[in-house]
Amino acid sequence: MRRTGFVDAVDGLGQHDHICWVFHTLEQFRQAAGRFLTDGVAAGQQVIYLAEGASATELDHVAGFAAARMSGAALVQDLGIYEPLRPVDAAAQVAEYERATDQALAAGFTGLRVAAQVTPLARTPAQLDAFTRYEHHADALMIRRPFSAMCGYHAGELSAAAVAELASMHPLATPGSTPLRMFPSAQPEVTAVLAGEVDLAGRRLLHDVLRRVDLTPVDGAVTIDARDLTFLDHRGLFQLVDQVRARGATTVLHVAERSPVRLVAELLALPDVRLVMS
Amino acid sequence: MRSGAAAGQAGIVHDTAFYDSDEQFLDVVLPFLQEGVAAGEPTVSVFGEPKLRLLRDALGPASSVLLIDGQGHYLRPAVAIQRHRQMMAGYVADGATQIRVAGDVPHPGVGVAWEWWARYEAAANRVYDDFPMYALCPYDTRTAPPEVLDHARRTHTHVVTPSGREPSSAFQDPHEFLASALTPVAEPLQARPALVDVIDPSPGRSRQAVAALQAVAGLAADDLNGLLVSTSEVVTNALVYGRGPLRLQAWADRGRIIVTVTDRGPGPADLTVGLMPGAGPGGYGLWLAHQTCSYVSMWRGPEGFTVRLVADSPGA
Repeated sequence: MRRTGFVDAVDGLGQHDHICWVFHTLEQFRQAAGRFLTDGVAAGQQVIYLAEGASATELDHVAGFAAARMSGAALVQDLGIYEPLRPVDAAAQVAEYERATDQALAAGFTGLRVAAQVTPLARTPAQLDAFTRYEHHADALMIRRPFSAMCGYHAGELSAAAVAELASMHPLATPGSTPLRMFPSAQPEVTAVLAGEVDLAGRRLLHDVLRRVDLTPVDGAVTIDARDLTFLDHRGLFQLVDQVRARGATTVLHVAERSPVRLVAELLALPDVRLVMS
Repeated sequence: MRSGAAAGQAGIVHDTAFYDSDEQFLDVVLPFLQEGVAAGEPTVSVFGEPKLRLLRDALGPASSVLLIDGQGHYLRPAVAIQRHRQMMAGYVADGATQIRVAGDVPHPGVGVAWEWWARYEAAANRVYDDFPMYALCPYDTRTAPPEVLDHARRTHTHVVTPSGREPSSAFQDPHEFLASALTPVAEPLQARPALVDVIDPSPGRSRQAVAALQAVAGLAADDLNGLLVSTSEVVTNALVYGRGPLRLQAWADRGRIIVTVTDRGPGPADLTVGLMPGAGPGGYGLWLAHQTCSYVSMWRGPEGFTVRLVADSPGA
């Protein structure tokens, strides 16, 4: 069971969890990454610490990390290997992590866990667009493989809007980083999960998110799990349905029994929207 | 082919009538319904008790008049419009050339605030005009206050009496009527200090402020959700279409929350807004408020344009 929502600590995350960690100082990131990775080591995972110019001993002060590094359970990598000046190649990068996960399993680990300070990969608009799409595909990999990740973004180096775009592609994020999130679902019949709240403040963000998320219809329908969507205004519903309609599909919306989302969708009664109550 | 006074006309024919006894009521309404039945037109009656029983007895069990209980039908004008339009669309699709509807619109004489029903009566001339509707709205002069009777003359083109049908000399263009005639219903709760008074809140902050009043009000879940949706939509409208600063105020008591949203702009040009959905995204905000709130008022004042939303949960 993957965790979703807003969290201000990385402790206790599972084998498939994917968190956007927005930090204000590099030291904050190192501390959180140390906890996240040593949790992984304790759970038998192979772990990777990835940061710009990272030195091999950067996390050795974290209890257990140095020993894990010596045994090969923990790796430290310099972000420089990812050609940080170019937009990420999402498919190649996801394939790379899938291979790395398989190798970790073959070596006897229970899975792979990565803590990456990836701010340098999302600095320009082109990089940001490519990286948000990559985050979505990586998240899909985390559902099907024992692969978990903590993606660190420096709030001082990215605009609040850029942070929101990045955070919105994660099932887990630090509080205040984004009003809404959209990500793949572990349920095969669900195309994507839409969570948080959608109103005027998130209008532009939703537009971007809907461009980036894979909304490929199945049997003429795109199924959105909106049970954790606490608010959706009518413009947001139109935005969502328009995107699905453009793919020639109807929208199936899973909604909580007593929610404003259900109320708005029922009243608008759009002909190509079907509500499923849960 | 349309029967009766509407013959040869297009769109809605909107008549009123005034009565002060059951006999007078039947003298005006029965012929209207019976003529429709005789002409083979879909004929609908929307009266609550005791008028419903009076008509049922007078029409007899074999009558083809559709008798709808007005009590549940006329809860919210926007809902009534939606239902009437759906019903008439169905009849027209089945080949009807005229649909007759007689009904009593609620007013303070039966315990319902008049303001949004006055808007309904004025708006009826427009929102039903794409249907061959022949409407008769009789008012009981024993219970309807003078303001209601005055507005009935100003919002209906003709007045029907047992002896005939005459143009209403007081009839006003709906836009003119709506711009001048309406005064918002007084809400005593607003005499108390507002529990929320915020300048330029975002929609999210507005929802949070209103939701916090639930501790006082204890509204039913659907009523609270309706108010949160409405508040968010009205604040969004003010931010998108209005002129700042925007002021959000709210009051609460057990079973009731009142929210006002005021911006410095002139408000929408068309004051029938909210009774019908507008076109496409952006046109549904006030309509959703009219669908979900217990009452919605709108007015222009020295401080700008105000929308007031009321959520009631009786028995909360």
